[in-house]
Amino acid sequence: MNLLDVTTLGQSALELPTTHDAVSLLVITQLAAPAATLVAIGVPAVLGRPLSERLTTWLVGAGFSIGLLAGLATLCVLSLRGFAPEAVHLGTWFSVGHHEATIDLVADGLSVPYVCFSTGLCALVNAFAGKYLHREPGFTRFFLLLALFGTGMNLMVLAGSIDVLFAGWEFLGISSTLLIGFFHDRTNAAKAAVRAFITYRICDVGLLTAGVMVHRAVGSGDFERLFSGAWPNGHCLVPATTATVISLLLVFAAMGKSAQVPFSNWLPMAMEGPTPSSAIFYGALSIHAGAYVLLRCESLLEAAPVARLLLVLIGVGTALHAAAVGRVQTDLKSMLAYASMTQAGIIFAEIGLGLRVVALVHIVSHAILRSLQILRSPSALHDRHELEAALGGHPGGGKSWLRDNLPPAAQAWLYRVSLERGFEEMAVMRLIVGPIWRLLQRIATAEQAWTVWLGGEKPALRVGGPPMFGRRIRSRAQSGGEE
Amino acid sequence: MNLTAPQDLLLVMLGITVLAPLAAAGWMASGLSNRSPRTGAVVAMSLSLLASLAVAWQWHNGHGVPVEFGDRMGGGAFIDIDGVTAVLLPYMALVGLGIVIVAPKRFLDAPATARTLAGVGATLALFSTAHPLVLVALSIVTVLPTWWSVRSTPGGSPTARILALAMVPALVCLTAGTLLMLCDPPWEKDCGMVGATGGWLVAAAVLLRKGIIPVHSWYPALFCAAPMSTSLVATMPQVASYLAVRLLIGHADHGQGVAVELIVLSQLALVTAVYGAALALVQRELRGLIGMLAMSQSALVLAGLSGKLPMELSGAFCVWISSGLALTGIGLVAWALESRAGPLSLETHQGRFRDSPMLAAFFLLFGLACIGLPGTLSFVADDLIVSGSLDEQLYAGLLVIAATVLSGIAVMRAWFMIFGGPEAVDGPRHQILPRERLALTVLLATLFVLGINPAPLVRVLDRAAGHLLGVPVQADGHGPAEPPAHP
Repeated sequence: MNLLDVTTLGQSALELPTTHDAVSLLVITQLAAPAATLVAIGVPAVLGRPLSERLTTWLVGAGFSIGLLAGLATLCVLSLRGFAPEAVHLGTWFSVGHHEATIDLVADGLSVPYVCFSTGLCALVNAFAGKYLHREPGFTRFFLLLALFGTGMNLMVLAGSIDVLFAGWEFLGISSTLLIGFFHDRTNAAKAAVRAFITYRICDVGLLTAGVMVHRAVGSGDFERLFSGAWPNGHCLVPATTATVISLLLVFAAMGKSAQVPFSNWLPMAMEGPTPSSAIFYGALSIHAGAYVLLRCESLLEAAPVARLLLVLIGVGTALHAAAVGRVQTDLKSMLAYASMTQAGIIFAEIGLGLRVVALVHIVSHAILRSLQILRSPSALHDRHELEAALGGHPGGGKSWLRDNLPPAAQAWLYRVSLERGFEEMAVMRLIVGPIWRLLQRIATAEQAWTVWLGGEKPALRVGGPPMFGRRIRSRAQSGGEE
Repeated sequence: MNLTAPQDLLLVMLGITVLAPLAAAGWMASGLSNRSPRTGAVVAMSLSLLASLAVAWQWHNGHGVPVEFGDRMGGGAFIDIDGVTAVLLPYMALVGLGIVIVAPKRFLDAPATARTLAGVGATLALFSTAHPLVLVALSIVTVLPTWWSVRSTPGGSPTARILALAMVPALVCLTAGTLLMLCDPPWEKDCGMVGATGGWLVAAAVLLRKGIIPVHSWYPALFCAAPMSTSLVATMPQVASYLAVRLLIGHADHGQGVAVELIVLSQLALVTAVYGAALALVQRELRGLIGMLAMSQSALVLAGLSGKLPMELSGAFCVWISSGLALTGIGLVAWALESRAGPLSLETHQGRFRDSPMLAAFFLLFGLACIGLPGTLSFVADDLIVSGSLDEQLYAGLLVIAATVLSGIAVMRAWFMIFGGPEAVDGPRHQILPRERLALTVLLATLFVLGINPAPLVRVLDRAAGHLLGVPVQADGHGPAEPPAHP
């Protein structure tokens, strides 16, 4: 029911801008609340005066709670208006010639429920992490990154243009990387963070190029010029070829963030981060960021059957791969990571099949379940150990359809393939990363030899080694102390 | 020459901007001072920064119209203040101030400080002129402190030799090319072979001075062997980009557009941008990584300068400022870390986080500010340069994107290699010093403020770009009215 239906014509003319202003204010609040906590915690930390644990948790919690309340209020207003999309134009960030970067947000049937869900989940994880990370050396850092993530998530979800969406997407990537490497004294955590960042960065090329393509196609990044109508029944406003190119680029971008094959091997490694961040990122929100972007641009996908077919193939492939690999994992967090990947794959396939509302419901329900499982995992392990101690052994497993129906040879083969993670990582490292890395190292070595020769010295070839004159400076710097 | 009061003030401020570091350099070189060189250097550079901001403000109050003083010869006047100058003067003064504040004490003796200040002062003077002969003279002057500093560094002879091998031909080409261009100006209709040859010689000088493939070897070598102050003062101003702006842009179509030499240079620059970023990935020392990143970002600026659209040119100017400030920050943090722990290897995890968490935070923030974090100026710069490049040529845009992506991976990998891993130091912590915190915070705040509110800066640079390309300016004075071409 539209709020304006119950008013007289004269009143509606007066109320229309008021309602729009109210929605605008609420949408801005959803964005500003976590951003304000980011500043409130970040500035004292940079100035060398970090806030206390209690105040930090309280501030971040307050930011997310205010965002959640504003989201719920927006949801009420929108539901009264039949979920008609409400565009919020915050102004032009900068403009050069015909290129204009505008700050556009949108409140509709997709963005507002999603922002309520994500902000609420962030608030819960904040409350959990306040206790879980008590006296952890990186306490402030964690909450800073959580606030950054919340801000980026809301920015991405509420984005009304691809420029704003890209900004939020980048915040997600940065916060995710830094939280994977949160325990910086663990070498594996640092390696996992770099691996995740490389995947994100490579797949960001898709979103960046898609953004430029959108600008070229319609003259600005506004979604309003790409598709019209209320979600999920929008209509594509660009030609099918353009829609296909942009859709394929978006699918490529989404594959990285949502850990789809062949960009999936960073996800189990990402569990090196603290449990609360694993829950919110890889169980709930970050893993579905790619799916959200695809849902947001569903009208483009509708006009691009090739992209939809690709999406189904990728989704089904990932789901099968992750389901098989997840079954042979020996640690709980890896099993949960592969379980998340399986569901993300199914969600991709649902989007490809055009089941948008099903996909949205699947995202929300899966996120809630998986984040709960990940948050519970440390204590579940503890309980399991206690149970085993009480029973004096393993409590025993359930039945397996595969074990009962597959021939032993096939079982052995499947086990081996699953144990090797489908040879996915090996293929990527041997066929793509390895050759490129070796080529770059050889070029670097040749560069150094050439530079040393130019400097009038005899080249001392060493793969990737520093030039000879660099070593002298090193020894000099090592001999001196600080002032 | 009759000057109005505001113009008088502008000249006075410009004089202070340029002369303050030069006077301080002379004072320190004379050996008359028995105080810490840092005090004098900081006072001189602060004065220079304030005066340069006053120049920018005064120029802006004059409705952003280019101001010229002195005789005009060839392409420009003896003193020429336009949007590019108004932005570059405070930028260079800020870089210089950051360097003298953060520099470790043992690298800040009187001769070294004098060389740094002389380099900054000469660069500021160069940014104030568009007169071809003065540009040539000041280009020679700016090279000397760098070469002298590298030569004075223990073990620096090979690098001094490499620097000389690049700079001597560059200066010869620049001098000869400029003279030929003055004899037969390419911006006039009856230009012949002499002027065209001059243009190509200047292009060769830019190629050498900027470290573009295949004559780029001096760039990473300088970062590996010279004190960080020398490397930063020599590379962050991007003198060759300024020479290209003043001598090559506006020559095609008889003063309307971009010289063909610059277009050829830009293709090499695009390759250099990707090459530098890719090699940054496999560097085994932090200094090598910074050198390669600086080379890549510097090449991006040159690639953008050849654009036919003001947007691309504005993007190039934005990359100039954003990458310069961010790389200065990274360089200064690296210098501060080296002064505590020696050279930093990227071969294994160094575990430096617990040792100096604030320096880790600053390194990360400057690194992110260099690779296009939303909210920093580099995000705006990348947006403009990528959009501009893709508008013109698809492959150029894709190469710019590739360079940006590779730089990002290199920076993040370096951060985790230096600060990640088991704790390396089992002793007293090396906390950040107040002066380091002050300088790095100011640099970082500048990047964020300009990134969150980029409109005023972009407007000034867009207007300057339109002026350089000869695009008509809107009636309200806000940038070019229409793009010259749109595919």
